[in-house]
Amino acid sequence: MLFRILIAMLVLAAANVWGQEKDTPIVRGGIGDKPFIKGTGGRTFLGGYTEAHFRYEREEGITEELTFDPKRFNLFTYTPVSDRVRVASELEFEEGGEEIKIEIAVLDFEIHPAITFRGGIILSPLGRFNLSHDSPTNDLTDRPLVSTEIIPTALSEGGMGFYGSIHPSAQGRITYEVYAVNGFNEGVVGGEAEGTRIAAGRGNFEDNNNRPAWVGRLGLSPRPNVEVGVSLHTGAYNVWEADGLAVDEKRSLTIFALDWEARRGPFELLGEYASAAIDVPEESAIFQSSQQGYYIQANGHFGQGWIGQLPKGHFTGVVRYGTVDFDADIDGDSHRRLTVGINFRPEEEAVFKVDYQRNWHRDAFDNPARGAAFLFSAATYF
Amino acid sequence: MRYFPALFVLSALVLGGCDAIMTDTPPAGDDFESPFDGLSNKLNAVFIEGDENFAKAFTIEEGLGPIFNNISCEGCHPGDGRGSPELGFFRFSQGADLALDRGGAQHQDKAIPGVPLEQIPAGVDRSFRLPPPVFGVGLIGAIPEATILANEDPDDADGNGISGRANWVIPASYVSPDHVGGGSGAQLGRFSRKAQVTSVLQQVAEAYHQDMGITNDFLPEENVHAQAGGIALGDNVADPEISASTVLETVLYVRLLAPPARGPITPQVERGETLFQQSQCATCHIPTMRTGPSPQAALGHVDAHLYSDLLLHDMGPGLADNRPDGDASGQEWRTTPLWGLRLVPDFLGGKAFYMHDGQSTTLHDAIVRHGGEAAASKDAYLGLDQAGQDALIAFLESL
Repeated sequence: MLFRILIAMLVLAAANVWGQEKDTPIVRGGIGDKPFIKGTGGRTFLGGYTEAHFRYEREEGITEELTFDPKRFNLFTYTPVSDRVRVASELEFEEGGEEIKIEIAVLDFEIHPAITFRGGIILSPLGRFNLSHDSPTNDLTDRPLVSTEIIPTALSEGGMGFYGSIHPSAQGRITYEVYAVNGFNEGVVGGEAEGTRIAAGRGNFEDNNNRPAWVGRLGLSPRPNVEVGVSLHTGAYNVWEADGLAVDEKRSLTIFALDWEARRGPFELLGEYASAAIDVPEESAIFQSSQQGYYIQANGHFGQGWIGQLPKGHFTGVVRYGTVDFDADIDGDSHRRLTVGINFRPEEEAVFKVDYQRNWHRDAFDNPARGAAFLFSAATYF
Repeated sequence: MRYFPALFVLSALVLGGCDAIMTDTPPAGDDFESPFDGLSNKLNAVFIEGDENFAKAFTIEEGLGPIFNNISCEGCHPGDGRGSPELGFFRFSQGADLALDRGGAQHQDKAIPGVPLEQIPAGVDRSFRLPPPVFGVGLIGAIPEATILANEDPDDADGNGISGRANWVIPASYVSPDHVGGGSGAQLGRFSRKAQVTSVLQQVAEAYHQDMGITNDFLPEENVHAQAGGIALGDNVADPEISASTVLETVLYVRLLAPPARGPITPQVERGETLFQQSQCATCHIPTMRTGPSPQAALGHVDAHLYSDLLLHDMGPGLADNRPDGDASGQEWRTTPLWGLRLVPDFLGGKAFYMHDGQSTTLHDAIVRHGGEAAASKDAYLGLDQAGQDALIAFLESL
């Protein structure tokens, strides 16, 4: 009897399926019911970049690393849904899949040529480097210290806001981005044993304290190839209220950044300064309340056409000096780095880099330690 | 393409480890964190594990606190040497009572967020202590008890004004007789400022527990926090927070830390050494003691140039902390080993801090603060002309 009922149900189900339009999805909005699949003409673009490192690092004569590092494999999508609606995403696979995350997933709606709404997982406009950090565009293998320790690139957050640009003169341009975001979490002071580490407070994809933080950047470009940017990220990072009761002191984190970029002929001058003011729990006495750092970098391009088989190929010589001070209130607890590099781009989108780093560390007692690194890396967009 | 061979050669040079390019190691013997030469591969492997334990900085999520003094062993002992006054803390007790129910015998001056700071209770005896260096404890532990006791002269029978005596201490129950200083009944205290610790195991287990708030198999319950008003129940990490094996690795690590090498022996240093002997400094700061048998060959039957007799001496009211510790009175201190003095500033950002409280920033001041049984030696030093004093200091700075 049970078998007959089952057969009858299958027949009815089959009749129901055959009775619908052939493109009716099994689940509305399910995996086979996505707009980009329905659409024709390939309106979603798929791309990405990949990078691989060889690292040889020593500190005080002791080899710390001699390893190949399949650093990143990132996938991009970009969809111009309509003239005014666009969707973009970046899915990052780091260290062979050890870390997988959606770095960017944004919906843009252009309200006016000067105002576009953006919401989703946004790349925080905090310093120019965070907004443009893909390895194929960078001329050195490692990111600047300030752009990893004070501004924890890649910093992306859940948020909504607006961006756009205005053109006050024929040559000049002002760009802006401003968003309300979820901000940082308690990991800022509790996530790393070394003390305050801003990077450890990332990953707040649901606001921990029910108060948005704010981030924004203003870019001033008096003429093409010259830009100065000012950024700010501010907001509370801890939970100080729960169920309407005060459970802690409210503590905020504010990061200020100044970036600059100038290009003239084959030369480029880049840099960024950032400082962070952190409210820390006083009873612990192990957290740093003031951190800062900067980098300055000069690039020079040369040698296009030297290699006959690669007419677009060219070399770039790079010098970068950077520093980060993890505790601006004391001597020590800092890291300085000088990097000299040369890279070769057979095409603009692919690069082979050879870098030599010299590192000077100071611990919290102001004791010095020297380090050096030889790096070779390859990166390309695809 | 013509540049590729040059690039290849440069790369080969770097990969070949050209020291000038990739940094070189400091001169051998110029640090406090190197192991003895000739250890077996297995011991070297455990040494490296212990080194990582020693440098390990604990997070709140890993069990730091709820009250603590520092986040890592290395945080108090930079470069495995001594600490600075800002790393020091108070020990407190009341007479023979260690005030354990009131948070004694150590004051933790930091707390994880949300936990009130510990206060030193009123009316107790307190003593500020600088973190001591940790190298050389393996050799100290390997010196036969009889060798140390042979230098005792509690009643000053030889009439030289110096009367060293041992501190006999009941070790913690978890220190088995397998460990130096373990077993039932009072054992010879060898370690810490008043020789109030008998074994490296107890020192390390208590350091995890007291200094960092890291419970372990030997001390599985969090520190008492008498003023927390019932709030500081713990740090929300299951106890014990580290295993016995981690503690034992760290114990073996510090036991295998070799003392640094002597600095250059110049004529001035040789003269200073003679003056050191003539001033009777060497009566307490005995230059060398011979170790006995040891499970680790590097520690057994070797000369330990520690410049200490490891005994208690009355150092006078000027240095007194007026806090008894075991058999040690408020005026008695264990003779501090002098090995490694020459490198003290190298691991404290170029500054030097001497004596139990770190209040002396020069060796001259440290000598001048000596009193009690050492008063005559101090007077002898002060009686030297400038060249003599300089020579004696030069000798100390060669150790």
